[in-house]
Amino acid sequence: MRKAGKIAKKVLGGAVAAYAGLFVVFYFDLDGKLLFHVVEPFLKNHYDKMERKDPLSMPYDIIDGDYVK
Amino acid sequence: MKKPDLSKLKNLDYKKLARDFVYGKPAEERRLGDLYQDKTGLYKHREWRGIKDTMAYFNKIWLYNYGMMVADIMKYGGPIVFAKGVWRYRWLGQTYLPVMHWFDRGLEGTRGGVMLASAWHYRGMVNTTIKQFMTMLVADQNLGGDKKKHDHTVAHDETVWGGIFYPYRDHLDNVPLQMVPYFVTCHVNNHVVLNYIDAVQSIGLPGDPCPMCQAEAGLFVADDMPDYYKAVLTSNEACDGSVASSVIQDWMINKPLHAMPQPMQFDDPLVQKHCQKEIEEAWQFVEDQYGIKFNWDTLVKNLEEQNKLQEFEWEKWDVAANTNHYPINGVAQALYRIYQSQYGNSPIWHEVDGHVRKIMEKCVEQKIDTFPLTRHRVIAWSCAPLYYSNWCTWAYNCWGLNTVINMDSLMFDMTIRTDSYEHTLEDMSTYHEWAPMRRMAVGGMHHIFELWDYMEKFNCDMVMMYDQLACKGMQGVHGLFEDEFRARNIHAIWMPHALPDKRVVPRAEIRKIVNDYMFTVMQEEPIDPSLLEFDDSDSW
Repeated sequence: MRKAGKIAKKVLGGAVAAYAGLFVVFYFDLDGKLLFHVVEPFLKNHYDKMERKDPLSMPYDIIDGDYVK
Repeated sequence: MKKPDLSKLKNLDYKKLARDFVYGKPAEERRLGDLYQDKTGLYKHREWRGIKDTMAYFNKIWLYNYGMMVADIMKYGGPIVFAKGVWRYRWLGQTYLPVMHWFDRGLEGTRGGVMLASAWHYRGMVNTTIKQFMTMLVADQNLGGDKKKHDHTVAHDETVWGGIFYPYRDHLDNVPLQMVPYFVTCHVNNHVVLNYIDAVQSIGLPGDPCPMCQAEAGLFVADDMPDYYKAVLTSNEACDGSVASSVIQDWMINKPLHAMPQPMQFDDPLVQKHCQKEIEEAWQFVEDQYGIKFNWDTLVKNLEEQNKLQEFEWEKWDVAANTNHYPINGVAQALYRIYQSQYGNSPIWHEVDGHVRKIMEKCVEQKIDTFPLTRHRVIAWSCAPLYYSNWCTWAYNCWGLNTVINMDSLMFDMTIRTDSYEHTLEDMSTYHEWAPMRRMAVGGMHHIFELWDYMEKFNCDMVMMYDQLACKGMQGVHGLFEDEFRARNIHAIWMPHALPDKRVVPRAEIRKIVNDYMFTVMQEEPIDPSLLEFDDSDSW
């Protein structure tokens, strides 16, 4: 019984700590700061370097009523 | 070592501090502009709105919506598909992540029912957005997606009303091509769209057509569109720029394509007949391409559900027009309504409306003055700047300009009859003709001047007149509006912008124009002077 009580206390304590931690993230806009300064620049760099199809290499034509593949 | 100055501590008004902590600061003391970090628009800390509203924002908006964003991903396709999509598509990666900042910008300074009801509107849009892009990604052949789903999905221009596909909803998914990759991205992260505008100009499209059409074509030029559909239904996007950009899209889509343009003169009965025929031709195209049959019952079911959404919208307008208890702010009203009415019926809209109804009824029953800082009731007319749709939140906090209603909300002011095929087709045709940018922007003088009736109906004393610099149609009537404003003695602020492109008229410039008008013409002082000037040039 005591053991169960201890586990329950730990779970409750962990939940309260997690909730408080999330509130700190929320209040100080830490999510925004992480996304703006770290995640987005990383992703932008990736997108800028991506190889992309050359759109001008695609023919613009219809042959026998069917679209050119 | 210098001694700390304790006299400041002694002089503090602890009673007031405690009151501000519990209830939040009064509006004139908030200084919301001091919360911003320079340039980025990030917050030094989010606003303390008093215990009740801060915790409500944290629990019911921030935590809830982050949680639901994950839940929606799991529901509509799972994290692996999502991760592949983020890695492949710029518009997805750079837009999905800062969504909660989009909420923050739109909900700044709000309290109580306004904060919660407006946030529900945002929740509806986020759910629909996730549902759309996950449907795209699951079927996307660029990512090795499900070919069967690809062959059961139809793409369409975002200005083709989703209701056109109601008869096939049991067998076919319809996903607008640009609603998420273009429209939503502009609101959430205004940097992204610039890549697409530049891409299309790099292959020779001139810079002066509407940047919306440019960006939509640019998505294909930049090879940033998923391949999730077997065939496409396009419109003319109801504007000039689309002529060039539609050709580019047709070229790069390279799939069976059927065009169903919105007519210019939609009041003519002969045009009505023509438009009905066009809808039937579009249905025939869908049936030919997908081998499916028209289902009248599915059409009626969806139309009747959509009618319920419209009926609730009329109730909302009634409260907004005739009371000061309306709990939805200008940006939430505008975006939710245009998204909902253009995308068509979906379960999330009904869920959102249920929540909003409860909040609105409470505000009315308890006679809550939902926008107590209101100095002027504003109607916003014409097309809004997508990169600064939350200007009305700023204008309310800074100047007490309460944007009660806007043109985008009012375009689809109708229900659709379902008592016979003929009536249904006639009403669907009217709905299709009243597309965004056609009904009240470039749809003829009679309709753009519906402004005066709505202004009276909604008890507005001021107009925020959007001035889309690249819209040839609206530029042509600029002078007519000027004359009418003068003749009717109406206070109107012209807000120049280039729809998605923030480089032409930056947000700071828009604020300056409003500030100048309020100081010089209205001879008023700001409610929150910290919001007059600030640099958010790098912000999402």
